[in-house]
Amino acid sequence: MALLKAIGRAAFLLLLVALPAQALVTDLSHKRIEIRYSFSGAEIILFGAVGSTNIDVRQEDYDVVIVVRGPEAPTVVRRKGKVGAIWVNQDDMRFPSAPGYYAVAASRPLEEIANPVAFASYGIGFNNLPLVADSGQGLMLPDREFRNALFRLRSQQGLYRQEMDEVTVINQGLFRTNVHLPANVPVGEFIVETFIFQHGSMRSRNRISLTVDKEGFERAAYNFAHGYPLFYGITAVIVALGAGWLAGVLGRK
Amino acid sequence: MPLYLPIAELSMNIFVVMGMGAIVGLLSGIFGVGGGFLMTPLLIFAGVPPAVAVATQSNQITAASVSGVLAHWRRQGVDVKMGVVLIVGGAVGAFIGADVFTYLRSLGQVDLMISLAYVVFLGLIGGLMFWESMRAIVRQRRGYVPPRKPREERHKAWIHALPFKMRFRKSKLYISALLPLAIGFFVGFLAAIMGVGGGFVMVPAMIYILGMPTNVVIGTSLLQIIFVTALTTVFHSVNTQTVDIFLATLLLPGAVIGAQIGARVGLKLQAEQLRALLALMVLLVCAKMGLGLIIEPEELYSVADVEEIGGKH
Repeated sequence: MALLKAIGRAAFLLLLVALPAQALVTDLSHKRIEIRYSFSGAEIILFGAVGSTNIDVRQEDYDVVIVVRGPEAPTVVRRKGKVGAIWVNQDDMRFPSAPGYYAVAASRPLEEIANPVAFASYGIGFNNLPLVADSGQGLMLPDREFRNALFRLRSQQGLYRQEMDEVTVINQGLFRTNVHLPANVPVGEFIVETFIFQHGSMRSRNRISLTVDKEGFERAAYNFAHGYPLFYGITAVIVALGAGWLAGVLGRK
Repeated sequence: MPLYLPIAELSMNIFVVMGMGAIVGLLSGIFGVGGGFLMTPLLIFAGVPPAVAVATQSNQITAASVSGVLAHWRRQGVDVKMGVVLIVGGAVGAFIGADVFTYLRSLGQVDLMISLAYVVFLGLIGGLMFWESMRAIVRQRRGYVPPRKPREERHKAWIHALPFKMRFRKSKLYISALLPLAIGFFVGFLAAIMGVGGGFVMVPAMIYILGMPTNVVIGTSLLQIIFVTALTTVFHSVNTQTVDIFLATLLLPGAVIGAQIGARVGLKLQAEQLRALLALMVLLVCAKMGLGLIIEPEELYSVADVEEIGGKH
């Protein structure tokens, strides 16, 4: 076994040398976030290392861009208009799949790292996300205003964070950043992508995943409510009747 | 202390939630009302999605009404036969109300409907109550006592002309069953779309339209409210999965304790002044909801998950 391990390690080191573009390693302080009763958001530390490769970190500076993308879900954006004297939801635009969470963190302002075309080709930044809208007769490019509203509203909810977090380069090949997940974070699989840029071009990238899920009681309650809604409703009524009766008995004394 | 609510999918401070329960409980105790019309808007103002607020409030009202009806039951203040007729009407009304609710939710118009319903009904009831209590206060000052109408004249002629007459012994009434059915239906509909018990509509209707003696009005209306809100809870659970048991349970202790204290405070105040105060409060909630509709919102856009509003899976 020991021999096997040693061979494995040697192979890994060989791999590092042979495939310099992949010599980027990242990890998260928590790979699984559990939403429990006391959940009020989470902060995860992402740390990474650039191996000794053709990116010689001892001699040349490099930039790190980290993109965290949450599970995609059908989303609708509505716009109010004035009907008579009151404001009513009038127009809407449906996005068949919009990320429920999207964050971009970088070691420097994005425009200093590379030109917009580079970011566009890797889909970095909200404006470069390939969002489409459902027109009812096939897909179409979404209206700018609705798209911007989606970004603005989700940003206010803390779900979209573009260039709000900084990637800290600790020394030479090491870097870290904090991933902020708000309390209203959607559950599902998250993808964390790390890009290393140097002189305006992408040198290395990797992707790891992160899971956010309701756990224990919270998961059970949610599953119960969505899987067996009739029994959930009846349970809710029984709980209410019991609690009301108890309150009545206690209140009498 | 934050608490994550799994159905509402947000984190709320547990003490804020319990405090809201206590404040509404206190007010409902003072004024002798259910408090649904105060709690639902309060939950919405606190950031709970309107659909969750309405559905959860139904659940909470069931609990609050049970303790109330027990007290009236002991006092023989419940007309069960009348209650059953009101419940039958209420069940149909709640079923249709819940379907309308689900349909409007898929269109993204449920918030508008909730606001409109609040503005219309609170404005109407609050206005009437305010006018009536003011008149009573003025009359009391002047020492005017209105002549009592004899029993036979309490009903308008068209009410006696309605078919399907039924005898309600406890209420000492012989009237058409269509009337309580219609009232029950209307209240059930309101319960489903507004997250209220509907006592504020049902109690005046029972007194002024049905002509029921006041000693059985509250108990009977509470009986109807228990069944109708229980059904509403089940309908909303099935249609939209928006009932949050935890939120409802958290609101309850504060509401019950607050109501007990409030009832004692209420005894020390004069009935007319109490009613005028309640009317003002109703009008205040109405105005707040109304302004939300009229004033141009700072943010015209809103975002929602489609799955969340899709209802049936």
